[in-house]
Amino acid sequence: MGVLRAMRARPVDIAADLNDPTGDLLRRAGRGDQSAFAELYDALSPLVYGVVLKVVRDPSQAEEVAQEVFVELWRLAARFDGTKGSAKTWAATLAHRRAIDRVRSEQASRVRQDRDANQTVRPERDAVASEVEASFEQVRVRRALTQLSELQREAVELAYFGGHTYREVAVLLNVAEGTVKSRIRDGMIRLRDELGGES
Amino acid sequence: MTDIDVHHLAAAYALDALDDRERAAFEAHYGSCDVCRNDVMEFRHTLTQVADSLVAPPPLSLKDKVMAEVAATRQLSPLVAPVVALDERRRARSLATMAAVAAAMVMIVVGVVSFRGGDETDTFAADLAHVMEQPDSQVLSLANQGGAEGTFRVAWSNSLGQAVLMGEDLPTTPDDKAYELWLITPDASMAMYVLDPAKDGNVHRTLKAPADPTAWAITVEPAEGSPTATGDIIFVANV
Repeated sequence: MGVLRAMRARPVDIAADLNDPTGDLLRRAGRGDQSAFAELYDALSPLVYGVVLKVVRDPSQAEEVAQEVFVELWRLAARFDGTKGSAKTWAATLAHRRAIDRVRSEQASRVRQDRDANQTVRPERDAVASEVEASFEQVRVRRALTQLSELQREAVELAYFGGHTYREVAVLLNVAEGTVKSRIRDGMIRLRDELGGES
Repeated sequence: MTDIDVHHLAAAYALDALDDRERAAFEAHYGSCDVCRNDVMEFRHTLTQVADSLVAPPPLSLKDKVMAEVAATRQLSPLVAPVVALDERRRARSLATMAAVAAAMVMIVVGVVSFRGGDETDTFAADLAHVMEQPDSQVLSLANQGGAEGTFRVAWSNSLGQAVLMGEDLPTTPDDKAYELWLITPDASMAMYVLDPAKDGNVHRTLKAPADPTAWAITVEPAEGSPTATGDIIFVANV
């Protein structure tokens, strides 16, 4: 499996990323150019804020986390390497990670508070599919998601949108951890193949 | 955790769906695994397209807040590949690969990526993996105090009596000063280690750890080490 995957592995859009306009802005920002960073903010803030909001849900917390993400992008800008992925991917990855950090630390403190009351914190399942305005990207992603099996789709959505670990997803879906792990993997491979290389 | 298990975690890793322990184990693995690295890159690219469907207008006030903080925030220096002698070509190659990966993934604390490269990194990666394999291994991030820059993470196993410490992005200390790690045990005794980050601000150390440490802390002390802490605690984690 591993070898086969390695053999069919495609380089990820390196040519496209060299033309990545946000990458150029990020490189300029890395040399201390604040006006380039302001432009980068304009280009990426709907993405960063959107990802963070989807995961943390609360708009005021989302604003705080999005601010952390941008300040970190600024701090690390000089270390950006466009051959390893676009600036946009970097920002989206960082936004998701910081959002996850926020919900997990919130959840940890809530679990501590709730322990005496013997309540189990169960992550919410609804709102995962909460709708925002339809757009081309949404239609494309939604269509791609429909190509996944129901379990694959639910597992990927609960992890990415819901911010749950795969172990939590296993509890939510009432299936074995190993099953979730492989559904997540199969689902991501399917999604990658459906969405292809465009970005 | 077997190797095959680790390979299968790339998708969950890209989704941030691993707990801290598995995340650390995966990070220990994927720096040296082309398949996993490629998988993670591809999955992240895919997820960026999913993220594109989530765009939402941020509050108008956010830009001013960001730009104000940016104006007052020092940027980290770029990573510079060290000059390597010819007979170290093999090391140089892995070093270049690792530096490139780290540059792409630098927002994630990639525990095993050390830019000193070579055997030291391999040994550290092996130590980290060994600690993480123990059923009783624990991982902690130390919280920075008073705006200290950089990160420290520690993983240890009581049964093994061993710990691995990963410091990243640390500012250089003045010549006569050094970072010092304090490991506080239940009987209130302390073990201390002088840490000497490389020029890139990273330090990776394998340490003997007494059983059941209650706290880990970092101070800045005279370069030769100090038997008692004289500086402020700049990083701390209570177990």
